[in-house]
Amino acid sequence: MSLRGSARRREIQLAYLLLSPALLLLLTVLAYPVGWELWTSLTDLSPLSDGPQAFVGIENYRRLLGEAEFWRAAAVTVVYAAVTSVAKLALGLGFALLLARPFRGRAFVFLAIFLPWAYPAGVSVIGWYWTLNPPTRTAYAPFMGHLKFVVDSAFGGGAWAFASVILFNIWRGSSFIAVLLLAGINAIPPELFECALLESKSAWRRFHLVTVPLLKPFLALGVFLSLTSAFADLANVWMLTAGRIVFPVIGTHAYWLATKAGQFGPASALSLTLVPFLLGVLFLLFRLFDPPEREAA
Amino acid sequence: MNPRPWWAKLGHLSLLLLTTVYCLFPIYFMLVQSLKTPEEDVFGNPFIVMNPTLENFEELFERKSEVRGFVGDALRRSYPFLDWLANTLFIFAGSVAATLGASVAAAYALGRLRPPGFRWWRRAIFAAYVVPQTILFIPLFQVVNGLRLDDNLLALLLIYPSMALPFCVWMLSAFFQHLPREIEEAALIEGASRATAFFRIILPMSRPVLVAAGIFTLGTVASDFMIASVFLLTPHNQTITAGLGTFDVALDELAAVAGVNLLAIPVVTISAVFARGYVRGLTAAMVEGA
Repeated sequence: MSLRGSARRREIQLAYLLLSPALLLLLTVLAYPVGWELWTSLTDLSPLSDGPQAFVGIENYRRLLGEAEFWRAAAVTVVYAAVTSVAKLALGLGFALLLARPFRGRAFVFLAIFLPWAYPAGVSVIGWYWTLNPPTRTAYAPFMGHLKFVVDSAFGGGAWAFASVILFNIWRGSSFIAVLLLAGINAIPPELFECALLESKSAWRRFHLVTVPLLKPFLALGVFLSLTSAFADLANVWMLTAGRIVFPVIGTHAYWLATKAGQFGPASALSLTLVPFLLGVLFLLFRLFDPPEREAA
Repeated sequence: MNPRPWWAKLGHLSLLLLTTVYCLFPIYFMLVQSLKTPEEDVFGNPFIVMNPTLENFEELFERKSEVRGFVGDALRRSYPFLDWLANTLFIFAGSVAATLGASVAAAYALGRLRPPGFRWWRRAIFAAYVVPQTILFIPLFQVVNGLRLDDNLLALLLIYPSMALPFCVWMLSAFFQHLPREIEEAALIEGASRATAFFRIILPMSRPVLVAAGIFTLGTVASDFMIASVFLLTPHNQTITAGLGTFDVALDELAAVAGVNLLAIPVVTISAVFARGYVRGLTAAMVEGA
């Protein structure tokens, strides 16, 4: 073995050594739980029954696909994810473009746009809940109650809760995407925009022929992170509706099945139905963000 | 550039105003609520506070023995808020440190040392985001129990880093990968060890990206509600987030909003101080479309 070769081998060993803490962490926190979920989704495990768990194959999945409830939850989830993602992208892109050019007070506006994400969501969701569903004695309770009544009677029960969850998700998410896209815009050499300015007078043409294609990888990253958070969004929905299932998304439905009905098997199957879809989106993201032709670099 | 007409300026200005109000209003509203007296909460204007008071904040720090007014123990719970604060600080600082440590090590391995298939390693780590958190806490509970960490703050210190790590590894390794190889090689030729070259040259150069990773981790950790509420049960072990989740809506609305602000103020201050660095770091990681 040449000197160069043994040095390279030591480098590779060092690389695995340095990777190990991160991998160990992810394995502990994710690998066993995911394995458990996969296995449980094939059984009838329940904390409520005494007998040993039985292997039932794909029975849980089969039954799921036959349930109207599942399709309703899936439809609500898709609407929820689509509405929030589109709104977040649109607002985020708007904010980022607003901040892209210098103007007086830009630092202040930037900070304002950054804050909804930076504000700790674990507690702001509590604040939002009490703002949108105030205790009856507060001064604005009649107004909010009236609003809830109007929205619910126009769009059906649960509409207000649905709207409030969507509003919260958009408020926080658009802030994150705006900052991500602003960073993306900063990463693009300004000459490209100057060239575009010479080539075309129409701001719209410059926007969709130059800005959007250049930002595509960052838009894709934003969409992916937005979708994963929306599909797995359980805490926000659960909190903002105070645990009442007024409209089930797949996350809350699975949570309810597991904790209230004690059906671990179907609950696991239900939450795993999200995975193939997210994997598909992830592969699209990798194609945009980490293109294969750079493999040789 | 030719000067823009007045209507374009006006449009720009009102857009800025609209954006600012949209972003800040909920934060402003929560701040105003927390400064109100109970009387004003009932009779006052919801959007402004006439007689700001800090009594809601003080209430959080009161001990059980100090019963206020005629409202007895039965109605007014007392909260170990100082414990919550200490726990939260410990968890946030610990999670950011652990995440940064693990992701810098992994990112250096993937971006500089490049073991065979490093791209796939990086993709596999990032793919952790595909796993839905929904009912993951049930098997996670078994893991935590197995490690004897139930109802222990350290459980969060194990779980939180896994939520921010994939993105941080992705960002940092993209940055490391694009640093020219010569930078390090020059130091190695001069006789420096790999570790010296890393700590003296690479690490100082990557400060903006480290800031970005740190702020991202802080934001992720502070956004969790579920994990904290599921894994921390006794009041003295809770973080502010888990603790506030146990408040009763009808009774403690103002105190809870005060608690929200007490956590938000330090987190927001830190994030605001580093906000520009955050964007710069994200940009640095993205240059060349990593």
